[in-house]
Amino acid sequence: MAEVSLKHIYKVYPNGTKAVNDFNMQIEDKEFIVFVGPSGCGKSTTLRMIAGLEDVSAGELKIGDLVVNDVEPKDRDIAMVFQNYALYPHMTVYENIAFGLRLRKLSKEEIHKRVVEAADILGITEYLGKKPKEMSGGQRQRVALGRAIVREPKVMLLDEPLSNLDAKLRTQMRAEISKLHSKLQTTFIYVTHDQVEAMTMGTRIVVMKDGFVQQIDTPKNLYNYPENKFVASFIGTPQMNFFEGTLCKTGEEVIIKFDYANVEIKVPYSMLYKAKPAYLDGKTKVYIGLRAEDISLASEEDNNKKAVIKAVVSHKEELGNETLVYGDINLNGGETESPTKIVLKDNSGKEIKTGDIIGVALNLERIRLFDKETERSVLPRVPEYNYLDCEVKNGKLCFLGAELGLPQAVKCPDGKYQALIPANAVTAGGSIKAKAVSCEDINGVKLLSLTLGGKRLYAVNADYDGGETVNVGLDFKKITLIADGKNIVEPMPENSTLSCKFVKRKAVKTEEINGKSKRVKTVNFGFEINGAFFAVSDAVSQKIFAALGMKKALAASLKLECRAEDFAVSENGIAAEAEEFLNFGGEKFIRCKAGADTVYVKTEKEYSGVVYLMPDFEKAGVVETERDIKII
Amino acid sequence: MVDLDYLKKSPFEKFRFNFIAFFKRLPSGFVAFFRAIPKKLYKLWLAFAGIFLNIGRAAKEGDWKTRTSFAVMGFGLLARKQYLRGILYLVFEALFVLYMVFFGWKYLVKLGSLGEIACVEEWDDAIGAFTYKFYDNSLLILLYSLLTVFIMAAFVYMWYQNVKGCFLSQQFVEAGISLPAAKDSLRSYANENYHKSLLSIPMLGLIVFTVLPIFFMVFIAFTNYDKAHMPPQELFHWVGADNFVTLLGGGISANSKVFAYTFGEVLLWTIVWAFFATFTNYILGMVVAILINKKGVKFKKLWRTVLVVTIAVPQFVSLMFMSQLLADQGLINNLLLSWGWIDKAVPFLTDGTVARVTIIIVNIWIGIPYSMLICTGILMNIPEDLYESARIDGAGPVRAYMKITLPYMLHVTTPYLITQFIGNLNNFNVIFLLTGGNPSSLDMQYAGKTDLLITWLYKLTVSESQYGIASVIGIFTFVIVAVLSLILYNRSKSVKNEEEFM
Amino acid sequence: MEKKKYRSKKVSERISLVLIYAVLIIISLIWLIPFFMLIILSFRGEQVGMSADYLFPKQWSFDNYVKLFTQTKFLTWYGNTMLVSAVVTVFQTVIVLMTSYALSRLRFRMRKPLMNLMLILGMFPGFLSMTAVYFVLKEINLTQNLFGLILVFTASSAMQYYICKGFFDTIPKSLDEAARIDGASRHTIFVKIILPLAKPIIIYTVLTAFIAPWGEYMFSSFIMLGDPDKFTVAVGMKSWLDNSTLASEYFTVFCAAAVVVSIPITALFIWLQRYYVEGITGGSVKG
Repeated sequence: MAEVSLKHIYKVYPNGTKAVNDFNMQIEDKEFIVFVGPSGCGKSTTLRMIAGLEDVSAGELKIGDLVVNDVEPKDRDIAMVFQNYALYPHMTVYENIAFGLRLRKLSKEEIHKRVVEAADILGITEYLGKKPKEMSGGQRQRVALGRAIVREPKVMLLDEPLSNLDAKLRTQMRAEISKLHSKLQTTFIYVTHDQVEAMTMGTRIVVMKDGFVQQIDTPKNLYNYPENKFVASFIGTPQMNFFEGTLCKTGEEVIIKFDYANVEIKVPYSMLYKAKPAYLDGKTKVYIGLRAEDISLASEEDNNKKAVIKAVVSHKEELGNETLVYGDINLNGGETESPTKIVLKDNSGKEIKTGDIIGVALNLERIRLFDKETERSVLPRVPEYNYLDCEVKNGKLCFLGAELGLPQAVKCPDGKYQALIPANAVTAGGSIKAKAVSCEDINGVKLLSLTLGGKRLYAVNADYDGGETVNVGLDFKKITLIADGKNIVEPMPENSTLSCKFVKRKAVKTEEINGKSKRVKTVNFGFEINGAFFAVSDAVSQKIFAALGMKKALAASLKLECRAEDFAVSENGIAAEAEEFLNFGGEKFIRCKAGADTVYVKTEKEYSGVVYLMPDFEKAGVVETERDIKII
Repeated sequence: MVDLDYLKKSPFEKFRFNFIAFFKRLPSGFVAFFRAIPKKLYKLWLAFAGIFLNIGRAAKEGDWKTRTSFAVMGFGLLARKQYLRGILYLVFEALFVLYMVFFGWKYLVKLGSLGEIACVEEWDDAIGAFTYKFYDNSLLILLYSLLTVFIMAAFVYMWYQNVKGCFLSQQFVEAGISLPAAKDSLRSYANENYHKSLLSIPMLGLIVFTVLPIFFMVFIAFTNYDKAHMPPQELFHWVGADNFVTLLGGGISANSKVFAYTFGEVLLWTIVWAFFATFTNYILGMVVAILINKKGVKFKKLWRTVLVVTIAVPQFVSLMFMSQLLADQGLINNLLLSWGWIDKAVPFLTDGTVARVTIIIVNIWIGIPYSMLICTGILMNIPEDLYESARIDGAGPVRAYMKITLPYMLHVTTPYLITQFIGNLNNFNVIFLLTGGNPSSLDMQYAGKTDLLITWLYKLTVSESQYGIASVIGIFTFVIVAVLSLILYNRSKSVKNEEEFM
Repeated sequence: MEKKKYRSKKVSERISLVLIYAVLIIISLIWLIPFFMLIILSFRGEQVGMSADYLFPKQWSFDNYVKLFTQTKFLTWYGNTMLVSAVVTVFQTVIVLMTSYALSRLRFRMRKPLMNLMLILGMFPGFLSMTAVYFVLKEINLTQNLFGLILVFTASSAMQYYICKGFFDTIPKSLDEAARIDGASRHTIFVKIILPLAKPIIIYTVLTAFIAPWGEYMFSSFIMLGDPDKFTVAVGMKSWLDNSTLASEYFTVFCAAAVVVSIPITALFIWLQRYYVEGITGGSVKG
């Protein structure tokens, strides 16, 4: 029983296409993970990399505690179920199930015991003597499952196992696989293109598209809080309605204006606290998403509580318990695809005819908004930034009625600014007193909502003891101040990058052997940065060799990524020119120029002139420049 | 984008359009082809440069163990406890040195002259007669020199692998990666390196019994090896491209013109024969298969068995029997004469044109069962609903055949057709056993009216010992076959998409 | 309005069926009659050579068969051919299977070039390489020797990978993958998964390999030149018909020999027909 960890996993084909891009995920023991996405999104490739049927181009793949990048499939302790079952046609069901055990040289009695047990679990005991050809699709799939579970693997991999079955059987097998998972208590990784399968079976779902992970979350969160338009449209049937429109803030209300249809609705601003102010200017285009189940036929009392708009019915689908009504909110709308189409679920049983003009009530609380360009959610669950107006006066930053002294490192003239304060730059223990509104745990991230001067302020992962008022401060190295669209103050980059090469150096050491001093030749591997050589530990060099191979590792151009606190100023190291001393109050840094690269280093003292910097190679990240792949 | 203008064209217009487009594209195709040459050459150069670079790096960065392996193969591996591989390299080097010293060298030095003295007549007092003492044998000199060159090439390859392997093992040790144990590297020959285990013996056979002889043949084409220069009594010599000139009609000897004429005639008939032999068999075989597979026809298995039985009878039996039956004095002529159907014997195999037709018909008789079998299998794979939808659309059986069966079959069986075509170009048995190339013709050199290139070659070598000329014909045959089949292969898509078919 | 006349579907189908049966019967006759003639001629008792103007013998007898086994070397040739065939069958089948598996299932750097190389090698007129092969064999004392012939037949077997590889290509790749996950090495996959599934193509390869030496004339005659004790049946029987005086004497014996040669192979074929057809269609459909 094991965890599976994927760190910066890439699959790059020889022609340069990236099938999987920077896949990062930690799969816990006993989880049921579903990879879902349209065909060609890289989900099967990822699964096959975990199985060992495809090579991992870059990244670190761990099953349990073992890095398995170069481990043969048979030694990974996994089992896999294939879409076309892949049963050995010339063997009986018994032999099929026993094949893997026989190759592992288990005793006859043990094999028999396990086969019978697995057959019993799956209810295929009576078919044990049959050949796969004589069985139906569902039975074959059970045998394939049996062949997998009999090995008692750490991880079960299932590659679209149900897509060859008919709809009824699929529903039945779905339930059985779920039951099997709870019975076996192993990690399951399941690939499907069917979002219903994903939603019903997974404890967590990975939505993929074009080789990129779109979102990793529980079924409920995927449904309720899609991070982008693709996830929103992929999950749920019928597909979410998407309208185009703009948002305009007037006072404490926001007007949502639908393009191509003369429709406007009003929502309270409190719903849009987390949105970037730029979206509320009445000009920036957004997608307005609303699921069919959040739209209903308007009744009398709805007129007061919900927003009611008019739509013309184009056709309907009767499902028995409910009716899907398709229409257009542009009353003169044509037949073609347009951003004014609407579909809603009705279970009131009202008679509706094609061409009718109906009132539809929108459940405004469920509105989802997406940027029209990036398609990312306008309302992320964890807001990245706080967007505030502020003023700098006499070396002090005034915002939301609070005042903070600017540290030496932040230099800007007096005046009015817009501040971009990352949610994680709001720290606990400062001089500002704010009122706590709520504290939620969102996928391991603690989001604290505060009010200050009547406005919202979000803090991420700040210490919060549950009191009504909180003392907060700002981490100035992360904030941005903008005036007239120009960044006056920029945050300090989190990572400094240094271009480098991985090289081999010979060295001659003098060693005492049996009382005689002897010259011993040794070879060291390390980074060459700006002409200087820095040996690294075997652990680091092994990682680089594993990722790139011997030949390529020594030829590729690389980038070293280091955090400011992972540098030490010492007597030997990378020669760099100290350019500026930055004091952020609590923390102090120097900005240095090493060759062409700019490096930020955390220090206590002020330096000037040439300094020597020693990076901590154990903690540094390494990126291969050519393919832009993070290898450590 | 869909080209609607193209789609509305009639088939004839489409053909015209494609035809013109083909010629329009031709110049740019040529340009692209020649443009690609420097790129290819550059790639080749890179590969070569890579080899020298690797050797250079090993020489520069290698430690003394690696450098010693430049002279003593496998040393670097032995010194790093990779005994199995090290010893194999060492043994290979020792064997190579022994071979060169005691065998290869002797022949290689004489390659330039192909020998000085062939044989000397000496009076032997003991037996009181002249005896012959044989010295240089041009044939063996050429053959063993070639063999030696092959072995030297293998040695160079192994030497390079040895240098690379030793250097790599040094790098592994330096990088702190443990070297594979002998057990693991042996085991890899059942896994990652399984192709080496599987292919080494087949490839060895192929090199010694196919590749080496082909090179030998190519070199023979540049010598005067014929009746007058037969080792071991006589030597033969390098003559440059004389044989090529002779065959193309530019030679000084009177033979030259006749040779050129014969070559043209035989080549033309070879191509005509291959074309008809392939397509008659294919089309008729398909028709028979369709008849047998037709819905409602009973005893399918019986009909098929009747035809399959004829495959089982060895071809030479049926061919020789046919040649006896069809002879001028053969049973068929005799029967026809005695029944009074004809006045004089039909020259089935003795008149040039009639014989050619007879051969093609007999070949149909021989070949149809085979092509019928192949077509049967594929026909059963054509989805039935294609025919059903065609019938609903109002297509009759002929239309359905033209629009569905034939295109499908052609698509699937192109590789088979090409192999058949190549096989027929080199079809020795049918011609040799049926007519022996006869009737012979006075205007042709050692060839008859029905001789194919391959049977002509047989006669030139076995009965006329014209090895030099024969080799040239062989080379031409190869070039023609290769060009024809490469064109055909490139036009068939099913060959390219090897993986997609799965 | 005139009523369009439709021929009843049933009637038209019946007519076409009758036509098809007629064609099939004619085809069967054309294909079988020569073999009946062969059999009938082999029982002809009188010595009239081949210039007789009648088919059915005046005198039915087994004389030709008796002569075949007592006065000719036919039995020796038969034995030679049988030996060569048996050994060639074993080696050729193994080599073809190994090559095809490697080219179909394993992925290695030289795979495509190797396939192209073999394709090109197949275009050389094989006969021309005979002289060189002959001298190679002579040097190892294998001319006029059955093992020389065996060596020649098996050495280039790899080039016949084509149909067999096509068959292997049709076996789903996921079987290999499943077996790899089950813990099988490439070798185990070949022996335990692919080979059992390749029964039709193995039988096809065995059959073609077995038949080849019986019908092959070119190489056999060249290598065995001048030693009638080492002839194969094809070379030997051709020698009867090579000159016309012998031919008229031996024509009916030839027929008898042809019958003796054909019977076992035909029986084998009818027995294994199903696999042969499966193999050839499976392999060539993929091509």
